[in-house]
Amino acid sequence: MISIESSTMNKEKLNLSQLSQEQTALEIKHLNLKYGDKQALFDVSMKIPTKQVTAFIGPSGCGKSTLLRCINRMNDLVDNCNIEGEILLNGQNVYHKKVDVAALRRNVGMVFQRPNPFPKSIYENVVYGLRLQGVNHRRDLDDAAERSLRGAAIWDEVKDRLHDNAFGLSGGQQQRLVIARAIAIEPEVLLLDEPTSALDPISTLTIEELITELKNQYTVVIVTHNMQQAARVSDQTAFMYMGELIEYADTNSIFTTPKQRKTEDYITGRYG
Amino acid sequence: MENMNLNKHISGQFSAELDDIRNRVLTMGGLVERQLEESLNALSALDAELAQKVIAGDHQVNGMEVAIDEECARIIAKRQPAASDLRLIISITKTITDLERIGDACVRIAKTALDKRLKNQKPLLVSIENMGRHATRMLHATLDALARMDAEVALELHKEDSKLDREYEGIIRQLMTYMMEDPRAIPEVLDVLWAARAVERVGDRCQNICEYIIYYVKGKDVRHTSYEEMEKDLNL
Repeated sequence: MISIESSTMNKEKLNLSQLSQEQTALEIKHLNLKYGDKQALFDVSMKIPTKQVTAFIGPSGCGKSTLLRCINRMNDLVDNCNIEGEILLNGQNVYHKKVDVAALRRNVGMVFQRPNPFPKSIYENVVYGLRLQGVNHRRDLDDAAERSLRGAAIWDEVKDRLHDNAFGLSGGQQQRLVIARAIAIEPEVLLLDEPTSALDPISTLTIEELITELKNQYTVVIVTHNMQQAARVSDQTAFMYMGELIEYADTNSIFTTPKQRKTEDYITGRYG
Repeated sequence: MENMNLNKHISGQFSAELDDIRNRVLTMGGLVERQLEESLNALSALDAELAQKVIAGDHQVNGMEVAIDEECARIIAKRQPAASDLRLIISITKTITDLERIGDACVRIAKTALDKRLKNQKPLLVSIENMGRHATRMLHATLDALARMDAEVALELHKEDSKLDREYEGIIRQLMTYMMEDPRAIPEVLDVLWAARAVERVGDRCQNICEYIIYYVKGKDVRHTSYEEMEKDLNL
């Protein structure tokens, strides 16, 4: 084989089954989840690498959001939800009895489909988490606000109206504000649950651009219905179907030469 | 494609579009195959009329290449194909380039048939006839493998080309002897040599098409790889 030097092709390909401890941000081990009698996840095991973007794709009801919500224990809020297996964050099982869920969620930020800013000023939205942690110094808060808003690529648009109500922003801006709020407390992992499905194409591209920036600092896990989006932004893609992890590999191979028939059918639009 | 047994797309229109370009490639292949046969017939019979027909027919081949390429670009823009669909489109755009080049080779052969000086040099043409039959068979089998998207057959055909190369070397040796015996015939012999070269190139083009078939079916790019690696890649 001849090899051609180029930045994208040269990108180191991780062997997902043999990630070292430092390369692994999250390790999901034999995760089973039931909502009452109905099993939603079947023995899911995977390693999510550090400071990369990992996408979960699959048809509605395949369990991808459920899996995402397991990572910061959002499913604890659901009645009758029964979880077996482990999710290791830095080697610690997040489902261990002694884990402080609030601390976990500080470490694992989440952004939802619909932008959900608080009915407060832009500034107060961003520093909300820090205030909860007891940070009260004006200077510290100002610094954090600017850093986070810059990090979320919205600073230039809002720097002159930081104290206006956040509801005055457009949908795309609100979503970036919410991302700024999530990164203000400097989590390790950022979970994005269909972050652009309520946005127009241009805002979507801005957020996608942002996601590729974010992975320099954070481990990003994204659930998306938009397959092209997964292809564009992610380094790894996991395809799920009926609660099972069907195929998990680097995004390039998933979208050009998937190994599993079901993956092939889904990404070529043959599923049904 | 049949042997991959893929379901239909949810979008029936998309399936129809893919079927349509596949059919058009096969039509183009059929046209090129006829061009090759006729150009070789024209050469062995030194039939100027038939040769002119082949030369005139080339614009139809070129037109099909452009039209299929456009359709592929349209499908990529509209459907964002992935996985096997994407590999199909890529294989097709590359295949039609090689088919078009085979079309050019036919024109080269047909132009040789127009050379009136060759009337006195008919023995020169006999060896090309043989090689031409071989190339025609190879093209036919390649198009067949393309229609059925059969990677195993494609690999076998890929190996066939070395036989054509050996025949070509034989012809060169033979033509060199002619040139040494009768230097006044060198212009005609060179003409025949060009035609032989064109026939030899048909084999190389078929080889390329076989590589695209393997790429589509197996998802492995086997260009510039040895047969051992290829067979390992394909688990044959």
